[in-house]
Amino acid sequence: MGELNRHREKPLEINPIRLSQPMGAALAFLGVDRCMPLMHGGMGCTSFTKVFFTRHFCEPIAIQTTAVTDVAAVLDGGDGSIVEAVHNITRKVTPSLIGLHSTGITETKGDDIRGAAKQIKFPIVHVHTADFEGGLESGWGKTVTAMIEQLVEDRSELRSDKVVLLPHISMQPIEVEKLKEFIGSFGLQVVALPDLSTALDGHLGHKQGALSSGGVTVDEIFSLAEAGAVISIGESVKFSAAALLKKNPAMRHMHLDHVQGLVATDNLVEKLMDYAGLQQPSPTVVRWRKRLQDVMLDSHFALGQTRIMVTGEPDFLAGACQSLTEAGARIGLVLSSVDSPQLGRIEAERVVVGDLEDAEKLQSEYDLIIGNFHAEALARRYGKALVPRGFPCWEMIGNQLKNDLLYEGGAYFLCEAANAAEAMRMQHHAV
Amino acid sequence: MATKPKIRELLDESACAHNSTRKAGCHVTVPGATSGGCAFEGAQITLFPYADAAHLVHGPITCIGASWQTRLSHTSWPGRDMTQMGLTTGVCSNDVVFGGEAKLRASIDYIVAQYAPQAVFVYSTCVTAMIGDDIDAVCRQAQQDHGIPMIPVHAPGFVGSKNLGSRLAGEAVLTHLVGTLEPAEITPFDINLIGEYNVTGDMWQYTPLLEKLGIRVLSTLSGDGRIARIRTAHRARLNVLVCAKSLVSMPRKMQERYGIPFISVSFYGKRDTSAAILAIAEALGDADLITRTRQLIACEEARLQARLAPFRKIFHGRKAVLNTGGNKSWSIASALQDLGFEVVATSVRKSTEADKEKARRYLGEQAVLMTDPGSQQARIIDETGADLLLAGGRSLYTAIKKKIAFADVNQEKKKSYGGYQGLLNLAEDLKNALENPVFKNVARRAPWEN
Repeated sequence: MGELNRHREKPLEINPIRLSQPMGAALAFLGVDRCMPLMHGGMGCTSFTKVFFTRHFCEPIAIQTTAVTDVAAVLDGGDGSIVEAVHNITRKVTPSLIGLHSTGITETKGDDIRGAAKQIKFPIVHVHTADFEGGLESGWGKTVTAMIEQLVEDRSELRSDKVVLLPHISMQPIEVEKLKEFIGSFGLQVVALPDLSTALDGHLGHKQGALSSGGVTVDEIFSLAEAGAVISIGESVKFSAAALLKKNPAMRHMHLDHVQGLVATDNLVEKLMDYAGLQQPSPTVVRWRKRLQDVMLDSHFALGQTRIMVTGEPDFLAGACQSLTEAGARIGLVLSSVDSPQLGRIEAERVVVGDLEDAEKLQSEYDLIIGNFHAEALARRYGKALVPRGFPCWEMIGNQLKNDLLYEGGAYFLCEAANAAEAMRMQHHAV
Repeated sequence: MATKPKIRELLDESACAHNSTRKAGCHVTVPGATSGGCAFEGAQITLFPYADAAHLVHGPITCIGASWQTRLSHTSWPGRDMTQMGLTTGVCSNDVVFGGEAKLRASIDYIVAQYAPQAVFVYSTCVTAMIGDDIDAVCRQAQQDHGIPMIPVHAPGFVGSKNLGSRLAGEAVLTHLVGTLEPAEITPFDINLIGEYNVTGDMWQYTPLLEKLGIRVLSTLSGDGRIARIRTAHRARLNVLVCAKSLVSMPRKMQERYGIPFISVSFYGKRDTSAAILAIAEALGDADLITRTRQLIACEEARLQARLAPFRKIFHGRKAVLNTGGNKSWSIASALQDLGFEVVATSVRKSTEADKEKARRYLGEQAVLMTDPGSQQARIIDETGADLLLAGGRSLYTAIKKKIAFADVNQEKKKSYGGYQGLLNLAEDLKNALENPVFKNVARRAPWEN
C-alpha cells in the first residue's frame, strides 16, 4: 500500500474533478420513470446540470428549478417557490414523482424542504443536497436513501426470487443493464434503484417527453421491500441498503465494493450461487470468465509496463484500479474527487483527494490516464495515453454504451487500456 | 467605495429595445417553468474569453465544476490558456459558517504565484453573496499587494438571468479596467468589439478584412481579448456591438463617459457581413475608408459568389424552417437566403420588436414568424414541404419524424459560421445534412411493425 492523502493542501481547487451533490441527486431521480427532478436553487444550478448531462448522454434531460431569486432568497422560507414550481410543472405534465432537492443557496438559507414537501399533494421525495458538502456520489446515495425511506412500504413477507440492485453513480446505463442480466441469469428477478439502463441508455423513443422516460417505476419502488435480497454496489449506496433493510429486516444484504475484474466478479458469483442455491452459473457466464482470463494474459505485456493514473468518483476508482492491477498494471496515482473509505482499500503508489492541477504536478508518475474528459488537455500536454471514463465525457459519444463490468466488460476494459498504452508507446517511438 | 452596481438601474436600460414595452422585462423567472442560465453564467460567458486573466469563482463546486472547458472560445494568447481552466475556492460548510474571505485571499495569492496572470476576475456566487463575503475589500487589498488588476464581479446567480449577468460583467470591466491604461499609440480607425466572444473562431472570420482596411481592433470584450488592451478601450473611435443585446449598457455608458459612438451589427451571412463592415467604415466617417470598404466588399462578395455557385444550385428551391432565438432569427435567416434557400418560417419567441420587424422584412409577407415554435414547427414543415430544419438539439425529433434534414445551430456548434468564410462552412454542413441518408434510415419501420 502506498501513500494516502485525504486532505486538500491548497486553499482552492484548480481544474476540479469534483462535481456537486445536487447533480448526483438529479441523476438519481432521472433513473425513475416519468419523474421530474426539481432543484431548489438558482436557475444556474439546474441549467449547468442540464447542459452537463445533455452533453454527456447526448439526450434531452428533464430537470426543473424553483428559480430562487434575490427576493426569494431573503424573504421566502422556500415553501413559496417550491409550491409554485410544483403547480407550474403539474399544469403542463403529470409526473409520477417530483424529486425535490436543495442546493448551496437554499441550504445556506436553511430552507425547510421537508415542510414544503408536506404541503404538496403530489408524490414527492425530498432530500437535502448542499453543494458545499460531499459530491456526486453522496448526492446520489442520499437520494436513493431518501426514495427508500419516503416511498418504500414496510413488508414482512419475502419473495426469494426477487432482488433489489443498488448501483453506484459511476455505472453507465449499459452497465446497469448488464448487471441486471447477469443477476437474472441466476434465475432471479431484478429491480434496480435507480435504473438508468432503461432511462438514459440513448434509445430512440417515439417522442421527446418533458419528463424522464424509462427507469424504475414508482409502483416498483413502493414494493421493493418484498424482495428477498438487496445487492449494493459501492460504498456510496451501502447506507441506502441499510435503509431498505429497515423496511423489511428479513431481507438479505449482499454488499460489494465494486464489480470490476476477475476477483470481484467471482465474489458476486459466489454470493449469487449461494443465494439462488445453484452449483454452477450459466454457460455464458462460464465462457466469459475464460475469455477474461485470456484477455488478462494477452494484455499483461502492455499493462505491465504501464503506470496508470486513475481519476474519478471513489466507487469507480476502487473497481477500475483492482481490475487493472489484476492484469499487472501499476497504479502510479489515484486522484479522487472526494474522500471515501474506499480509498484506504485501493492498491496504488499514491492516493490523493485533489484536482487535476495536483495530477499535473505529479505527471512524471504515470504514462496513461483513465479519467474524464477534463484530463484530455493534461494527456495532450504531456504525451500521456487517455482512456476516457467518468463524468463528464462530453466530447465523446457512446458513453452510455461503455461496459467495464463483470467478466465480459472487464475483458473489453483491459483490451482498451492495453491498446491505448501501446498506441501511446508507438507514438513516442515515432517522434 | 460603492463599487457594487445597482441592479435596478442596469435593468432599466435606455438603449434596450425591451425597455419601452416592459421595464425590467429581462428579469422574469418562473419557478418550475424556467430554463436558461443564471447571472453568474452570463458573467462567465462574457469575461471568460480573456485567456490571459485568471477567472476565480468564489463559491461551491456547482458553479464551476459543471462549467469549465465547456466553450470553444479560441484565443491567440501564447501563454497558458486560462479559458480552459477551472478555478474555484470550492467553499465548504466551514466557510459558510465562518466566512470565506481568508480562503479567497489565499487563493488569489496562490494563483498569482503559480500562473502569473495579467489580472484576476473574482466572481461572487449565490452562496458567497449570501454569507456576505466582502470580495471588493479582498480584491482591493490583493491589487495593492500584487500590482495587477483584481476585478470583483458581482453577479451571483440569484440576481437574475444570464442576460443580466452579462451586463453586470460589462459593468465590472467598465468600473475596474476601462480607462486605467493609455495605449502606446492611437490610430484614427481604432474600434472596440463588444459582445464578440470568438466562439469557434467566429471573430477571426472577419477581423482580417478589418485589418486590410486599416481598421484596428483596439480591444475586445472579450473574444481573443487581452487585459492590457481593454484597459485602453476608452481611446477607441467607435464601439461595435456584435450580435449581442445583453451588453448594450456598456457602449451606451462609454458614449456618455468618453464620447465614443456605437453601432450594433451582425456577421452572419453575406449581406449582414457586408453591411457590418460598411457600417463600421461609415461610422468612422472617412471618405477614403468608405470607398476602399465598398471596393473590398465588392471583391469579397464576388469571390464568395463564385465559391457558393455550386451550393446555390443544390439549395435552389429548397425550403428551410429556422427555430432559434434572439437576433439569430433574422441573421441566420439572412445567411440561408444568401445560400439560396427559401426561409418559410423563423422563430421570434425570444426576439425584440426590432428583431421581429427585421425578420418580417427579410422573410417577406408569406413566411411564418413562429411565436410558439415547439407546437408550430411540425405543422409548418408539413404545410410548406420544408426540406431542412435548423434548430437546437431539442428539435431533432421533429426533424426525424418528418424525415427531413436537420442542422444544429445552437452554441454547441463546432465550426464557425461567421463572416464570408463561415457562410461557406454553413453551406458545406447544410449540403451534408441534406444529402445524408441517416434521417431517412432511422425513420425506417422495424420488421415487426406494420
